[in-house]
Amino acid sequence: MKRSGFLLAVVCLLGLGHAALAQKQGSTLRVTHRDNPPSASILEEATISTDMPFMAVFNNLVVFDPASPVNRLDKVVPDLATSWAWSDNDRTLTFKLHQGVKWHDGKPFTSADVKCTWDMLTGKVQGKLRKNPRKTWWFNIKDVATDGDDTVIFHLYDPQPSIMAMFAGGFSPVYPCHVPANEMRTHPIGTGPFKFESFKQNESIRLVRNPDYWKPGKPYLDAIEYTIIPNRSTMVLAMAAGKFDLSFTADLTPELTKSLMEQVPTMQCVMQPTGTQGNLLVNRERPPFDNAQIRKAMVLSIDRKAFSDILSQGVFQVGGANMPPPEGFWGWSKEYMETVPGYGADVEKSREQGRAIMKSLGYGPDHMLQLKVTTRNIPDYRDAAVILIDHLKSVYIQAELEPLDSSVWYARLIRKDFSVAMNIQGTGIDDPDVQFFENFLCDSQRNYTSYCNADLEKEFHRQSQMKDIDARRKLVWDIDKTLQEDGARPVVFHAQAGTCWWPRVHGINIARNTIYNHWRFEDVWLDQ
Amino acid sequence: MIQYTLRRLGLMAITLFGVSVAIFVLLRIVPGNIADILFDSAGMIDPAEKQQIVKDLGLDLPLITQYTHWIGGLLHGDLGYSYVSEKPVLDEILPRIPITARLAGLALMFAICTGVPFGVISAVRQNSWLDYALRVVSLAALSMPSFWLGLLVLMAFVDWLGLLPIYDKAPATWGAAILMYCVPAASVGLRSSALIMRLTRSSMLEVLRQDYVRTARSKGLSEAAVTFTHALRNAMLPVITVIGIETAFLFGGLIVTETVFNIPGIARFLVVAISWRDYPMVQNLVMFIAIVVVSVNLIVDLAYMLVDPRIRLRT
Amino acid sequence: MTDALYYARRYPLGVIGALILIVFVLTAIFAGVVAPMDPLTTNARASLAPPSHIYWIGADMMGRDMLSRMIHGARISLAVALGATCIGSGLGAMLGLASGYLGGWFDLIVQRIAEIMQSLPLLVMALVITASLGPSLTNTIIAIAIPLIPNVARVIRANVLSLRELNYVEAARAIGMGRTRIALVHIFPNTLAPLIVLATAQLGSTILTEASLSFLGLGVPEPYPSWGRMLSESAAEYIHSAPWLVIFPGLAISMVVFGANLFGDALRDILDPRQGD
Repeated sequence: MKRSGFLLAVVCLLGLGHAALAQKQGSTLRVTHRDNPPSASILEEATISTDMPFMAVFNNLVVFDPASPVNRLDKVVPDLATSWAWSDNDRTLTFKLHQGVKWHDGKPFTSADVKCTWDMLTGKVQGKLRKNPRKTWWFNIKDVATDGDDTVIFHLYDPQPSIMAMFAGGFSPVYPCHVPANEMRTHPIGTGPFKFESFKQNESIRLVRNPDYWKPGKPYLDAIEYTIIPNRSTMVLAMAAGKFDLSFTADLTPELTKSLMEQVPTMQCVMQPTGTQGNLLVNRERPPFDNAQIRKAMVLSIDRKAFSDILSQGVFQVGGANMPPPEGFWGWSKEYMETVPGYGADVEKSREQGRAIMKSLGYGPDHMLQLKVTTRNIPDYRDAAVILIDHLKSVYIQAELEPLDSSVWYARLIRKDFSVAMNIQGTGIDDPDVQFFENFLCDSQRNYTSYCNADLEKEFHRQSQMKDIDARRKLVWDIDKTLQEDGARPVVFHAQAGTCWWPRVHGINIARNTIYNHWRFEDVWLDQ
Repeated sequence: MIQYTLRRLGLMAITLFGVSVAIFVLLRIVPGNIADILFDSAGMIDPAEKQQIVKDLGLDLPLITQYTHWIGGLLHGDLGYSYVSEKPVLDEILPRIPITARLAGLALMFAICTGVPFGVISAVRQNSWLDYALRVVSLAALSMPSFWLGLLVLMAFVDWLGLLPIYDKAPATWGAAILMYCVPAASVGLRSSALIMRLTRSSMLEVLRQDYVRTARSKGLSEAAVTFTHALRNAMLPVITVIGIETAFLFGGLIVTETVFNIPGIARFLVVAISWRDYPMVQNLVMFIAIVVVSVNLIVDLAYMLVDPRIRLRT
Repeated sequence: MTDALYYARRYPLGVIGALILIVFVLTAIFAGVVAPMDPLTTNARASLAPPSHIYWIGADMMGRDMLSRMIHGARISLAVALGATCIGSGLGAMLGLASGYLGGWFDLIVQRIAEIMQSLPLLVMALVITASLGPSLTNTIIAIAIPLIPNVARVIRANVLSLRELNYVEAARAIGMGRTRIALVHIFPNTLAPLIVLATAQLGSTILTEASLSFLGLGVPEPYPSWGRMLSESAAEYIHSAPWLVIFPGLAISMVVFGANLFGDALRDILDPRQGD
């Protein structure tokens, strides 16, 4: 018995080849958590607070290659689907599914569960999900069909290569058909490497090893425990003291990351784009902001570098709607960005132009335009709004801050009850379809500024169907340029933040261009 | 005495009814409801979905109906479900109460154990440098923002002692357990300690001047005996009062201390519940706190009457 | 003048308190003149600048001069302290006077309301009030003032009750003086001393409440340089790399509250010896 165990270990080691250390089984991974997740149901939420801790409970049809540091269309690998094929002029997508997979409650996983999940997401089955924040992702799905227990077929209206990215994102797990939605919010059932054990409001979340996980030998950890620590100074102290193994993803500002690495030289930290961007919302229906000239003057007053220097010691990046390179795949190149108005290096020159515009409209140092900058009453938003107000002064605009409680923030945006707002928004996947369709379609719910350009909308659809990635990227750059020129939602910065872990944690591979994926923890183990 | 207690119990019922109406109305005045908050995390609002949530939770019913539902349930021991966790309110509150109660109890103990002796020393040594120093220190303790103090204490422990006294569900050693309760308790109890010290001092001074103390002294009793047998016992009365007053006050300090030391008690929980507009949770928690405050006040008053019979005449 | 000297010699701690308060009030009044820089202008290059000859006590994350912000912050703290204390004590005194003197139903109702308010934790009440009114300086003042009312009302009421039984009030009643007149001429002036003592004692605690509200994300909003806001949230995160962001505003709050407490103590001893030693 002993000998066979030994042999098995040797075989495992050989099989792993290059792995220097053997994965150790056991131990609990202790992770900090930034706040209380609104629920445990990933499909109903759009926040990393739910996505990160509960992703390990589930599987997707496909995932972004966990070993690859970039999440890109050509890095999609099988998960619950063993293979997939396009047919019918790229309008039909067929997945073959893994057999013998069981849900945590023992019921078998079948193609019906997949159909069921996407019927809910597309809104075909109503009333199951309490809210469905990513309905716009799946607008292109005509219907979902099954062929036996192991095949599921998606029929699309138009070809859409990017749909694979959406399937692979952490926000698109497969849900069990037989578990009611409210149970998924409090006690999620999945097929993933870890089973849900408990979720104590404002206190902790605990997942335990799924001994029957369908990927043999995995996972390595016995349990994962998240402790909710909303106070960031306390969190950093606890991290430095070694009370936790891993910090919540992108919860450390660049300054805090630096400070933590100074305190603990062995600490492993990664700085990554958070997928969130700060942008300016101008209500183009409300005078005087219906005047494109005023909107232009406001944009000219913005010193994007100053935002980045203040908020992040220069770490935040400048770009258009899409995440800038090198991390982002679809953002403008440096050279291209130079050609976009307002992105020049000489801020003073831009502001001079802005002042000239304002003067021609009758404003001046003695007659400043008075307005309110509305923002959400949480630090990240407020800090950005304070800088904005300071910059607006340079073009004869005297602004006052109107901080709104989170409970009324989106309600006000959707009612268009604001003049100028400082907004920070996140995008789950570095992909132009997600970006454009969520935010800039004429009738999208998140199109807070009611920017509507029918010609551009045709271009959205055209890029979405393109298979040649490089040609598509060129078109995406042009679309993004038009959006910025039109002042649809002037982008001020792309945020970055740090995630840190102690060297005893192995097998963590953080994606460079998203915070929302790679949290399945099936390859993670602790050396202690 | 019995008649007095009954009268007080009657008034207590009226007060609690008032508290229930007050918190119910206040919460409805605060803009936004749970549906707004739920969509906040999703970054959007779908009016149809929002309407459904409002309807499911009965938030579209007339306020009177909502209120009677709540109170009716409360009287039957049914506190309803949290809007956020969708679990019974009782299950959410019960495990958290002992954590906060322990913290508050330790804080009060700390306050009494330090406040009373220093108050006595200060009074006995009136106008000495020690008295001045104690008075200045106690005033300084009353002057610091509690979260600032908490943060500095936490920093001091981490930087100088290499210890981290934040909450841990399963502390590794006894030392760690003592540390994680006592440090926050001391930093939240400091204020009460200063108050008790000041009050003990002033009432001691008053008692020391009274005739019977002078008599005792003239009878040749030792100074220590006079201080402890006569003066301190009488000086204890105001301390009891402070405990009553501080129960309500302590709660504010607990909110920030629980935040700084990451303690999962009810104080921080209440603040989060308010920001989530989790009506059943806030309403029932506030009622619970009000019951504690009102009961402590009653007990303090009764204790006062037992200790000092003169009080009875005033009621 | 000689009186002042006499008191100064007898209450040295009170004098220190008064001096602190005077410096505080003068700073607040002349903030625009004293402050070396504009407290709102951001400067990316000075972000988190340590103390130097330009930034005496450093700069905050936005590169704003901390000293100038602290000096302007005195205005906010003064406004909060004075505003909340005046509103709270004023309304409380009126209610206390009326309920103590009128008695009967009115008294009973005021007493119950006071008790209800006192059964709700102070910070929770302030929290709910700021949340419903929205964050602004005025609303913060109101939110801090309202919970003060019951306490003041109770003390004044107790005072009025004891005054009511005094001989000269009975005499005034006997010669047929009107109720309102008695209340205003004979009773009100006699409640002033305890009222002033109480109000001074509250000056400090209003500043502390504002700080706690700011810590919880409510209170006076940015970009106003409120001391409470300055040392909470993002500032607290920099306690290791930029400790001046946390230490100086905290010291300022503690000093002013300390001054108010010292002064209040001395004032109590002078005006209302019965309450103290």
